Amino acid sequence: MTGIDNITLIASLLLGLGLWMLLPRGSSRGKAFGLVLTTAAMGLFAYKLFPLDDLVSDAVFYVMTAVTLVSAVGAVTMRSPVYCAIWFALTLLGTAGLFFFQGAQFLGVATIVVYAGAILVTFLFVLMLCNPEGDSLYDRLSFEAGISSITGALLVGLLTWTAAATVFGDAKAVAAKPAEGPAPIAFASSYEAQGKSILTDHHVERLGMELFTRHLLAVEVAGTLLLVALVGAVAIVAHSRPADELGPATEEGRRNA
Amino acid sequence: MPNEFDHALAEIHLLQNYLLIGAVLFTVGLVGFLARRNMIVMFLAAEMMLQGVSVSLVGWGRFHNDWGGQMLVIFILTVAACEAAIALALIQMLFQRSGNLDIAIWQRLREENQPAYVDREIPEDFDPKQVFPTLTPAGIDPHIREEETIHRTHV
Repeated sequence: MTGIDNITLIASLLLGLGLWMLLPRGSSRGKAFGLVLTTAAMGLFAYKLFPLDDLVSDAVFYVMTAVTLVSAVGAVTMRSPVYCAIWFALTLLGTAGLFFFQGAQFLGVATIVVYAGAILVTFLFVLMLCNPEGDSLYDRLSFEAGISSITGALLVGLLTWTAAATVFGDAKAVAAKPAEGPAPIAFASSYEAQGKSILTDHHVERLGMELFTRHLLAVEVAGTLLLVALVGAVAIVAHSRPADELGPATEEGRRNA
Repeated sequence: MPNEFDHALAEIHLLQNYLLIGAVLFTVGLVGFLARRNMIVMFLAAEMMLQGVSVSLVGWGRFHNDWGGQMLVIFILTVAACEAAIALALIQMLFQRSGNLDIAIWQRLREENQPAYVDREIPEDFDPKQVFPTLTPAGIDPHIREEETIHRTHV
């Protein structure tokens, strides 16, 4: 078990501080400084990333990572919820790229089609339905941004530290027998020639086989879950009685109704 | 075979990179979920946490040459779709009741002896009576023929 290293520690602290400054608060002072701090934190995290095989995959990987993480920060800190949704769409594109990079082609496509295409558009749709006119106070304030950011800094420090420590054990296992026999861990790319790899050319075919044989019960349960969610959503909307019958909760709601 | 050793090390590095990205994505989503007050933005942040987990799962799946990681992500997608449907229905209902998307309004559901959360600051540039620009209608009203409202002769 290795201790947490200085760079991870500093990067976590900087990320927490930067997020705290970027989150909507009373004043808009310190936003630029928050941006600088968050960028510095991202830079330090990028420094912790390991370079990959060749220059091209390095470049693609770093671009995908940058798109994902920068737009994630944007999605969380923007004032206007519409901008949040657009930044989140960019996050989804970045994660889809990361999925493609890992050879998970189906998931990359599904993320773009299902998440960015369907879920996010529904979000925007409800946003347009619900957006009250004019400035909203609650988009310009945060709940306890300081405590949330401290939580975030602690969590990211802990997660990166444990991840590094976990994989470090595996790395030692590999290092223990470098020369002879098969590697102690079954790597995808070492099986590639035998066709047993998840990096196979027949990706969707193999994925479908796996999904509808080994995980057939889970597919059935997921289908049931979708049906229940559908019925539930309809029931929630249909059973919410009109506001004048029930009495809206606030003065503003009374005006809106 | 030193080549195979390098290969294994490259796979480990790839996994570590993905775990790091997943951790940062999860954390940013968590901070957003805790701090933001707009219900829709809160749900976007929750979806972002799911994305962080998905990235880690795909990384582990590649590392162990196992389909399980990708299978789990497929089911995460399913659950996220269900969650979005129900959450948006709830948000729509709550908006009809309260007139805005602020989650802090629903602190009225708290226990009686709990203190209320009070905003400590008001944004400096906040203007509650802000008016957004609108477009004035331009041009002349089109002449509508009576029979065309019932039956369209040509498209």
